[in-house]
Amino acid sequence: SFIIEERSFMPCEDLLYGRMSFKGFNPEIEKLMIQMNSRCKEEEIEVDDKMEADVSDEEMARRYETLVGTIGKKFLRKRDQRVLQDEDEDEDGNNNTRPSKKAKKKFLKPQD
Amino acid sequence: MRGSRRRVGACAAMAAGRGAEAEACVGQVVLPGDVLLLPAHPDEDAERLRLGAGAAPRGRLLCGPGLRRCTAGLLVTKCGLLRHRQAGGSAAGGAYWVDSQQKRYVPVKGDHVIGIVTAKAGDVFKLDVGGSEQASLSYLAFEGATKRNRPNVQVGDLIYGQFLVANKDMEPEMVCIDSSGRSSGMGIIGQDGFLFKVSLGLIRKLLAPKCEIIQELSQLYPFELVLGMNGRIWVKAKTVQQTLIIVNILEACEYMTAEQRKQALAKLSGN
Repeated sequence: SFIIEERSFMPCEDLLYGRMSFKGFNPEIEKLMIQMNSRCKEEEIEVDDKMEADVSDEEMARRYETLVGTIGKKFLRKRDQRVLQDEDEDEDGNNNTRPSKKAKKKFLKPQD
Repeated sequence: MRGSRRRVGACAAMAAGRGAEAEACVGQVVLPGDVLLLPAHPDEDAERLRLGAGAAPRGRLLCGPGLRRCTAGLLVTKCGLLRHRQAGGSAAGGAYWVDSQQKRYVPVKGDHVIGIVTAKAGDVFKLDVGGSEQASLSYLAFEGATKRNRPNVQVGDLIYGQFLVANKDMEPEMVCIDSSGRSSGMGIIGQDGFLFKVSLGLIRKLLAPKCEIIQELSQLYPFELVLGMNGRIWVKAKTVQQTLIIVNILEACEYMTAEQRKQALAKLSGN
């Protein structure tokens, strides 16, 4: 059997937290009292309080999806931006009207 | 009658030099040098382990202040009443300790105490906690303190903190921050208020989970109270008179019976 030597009274007698406030003299201490003493008695593991979010999770995910594309476009060169524009229009289904152009203008060797 | 005979039997056994059973002495006066025998625990079998999978092993026993391990069992080092707490809850396996009375505080790791700042030496404050040595407190041990953002601590301020290091070989060190980095109520205690000293036994009585004294006082007026395990209490109420009333009650309640205390409080609330 294991015997643990302990020189403090706190674990033996389950003492309360030393700072106390009564009848609303110090509201922060009163909040702390409830928090500390309930932690002592029930031994709960600290649960992270989920703060009330202004934006819901789904909306956040949707926004991020489009955000990546928007920020990525900022760093493209002008030529690539035009390419993207064409691709978008292609996706919309305007294939018939516009002739399909080459994606990038390659370097043309001068013909002798 | 049966209880007193058991008591006499236990004392006789201890006087004879043999140890007495720990359970027989619970609630009785023990003297330094007494040996308390612990019942031998049976070997753990698989079934027992399955029951308490998450809890500590059943053989674990907490040997509290006033007791030491020795070959036969527990050796008493302070005179007082022997207390016992059953297994289960936060101290798995039960706890034994000696409830003794003293006025002089000895720093113990993990205790929350009130200290008075006596000197500022560069990066470190020296605090008087009522022990044999002054405790040191680094300026970085406050919540949100950085090298640029120093806490505003002056000589003579009151600080509520806990001991990080406290043994007989080293100078005690205090911090005002807990292991997760938050202050959780520790730090500089504010302006005004009244600090006074009581015995350590009274502090433990006041900090017990259901303390009638505190509950009765809380019905009187709004006030704020900080109890340090080193025997120091700080009280602050709206007026000086209310503060002094609370101070007097706390100092006197150590030697008053419950009825006397209720009478005193009834007189006060009548005023």
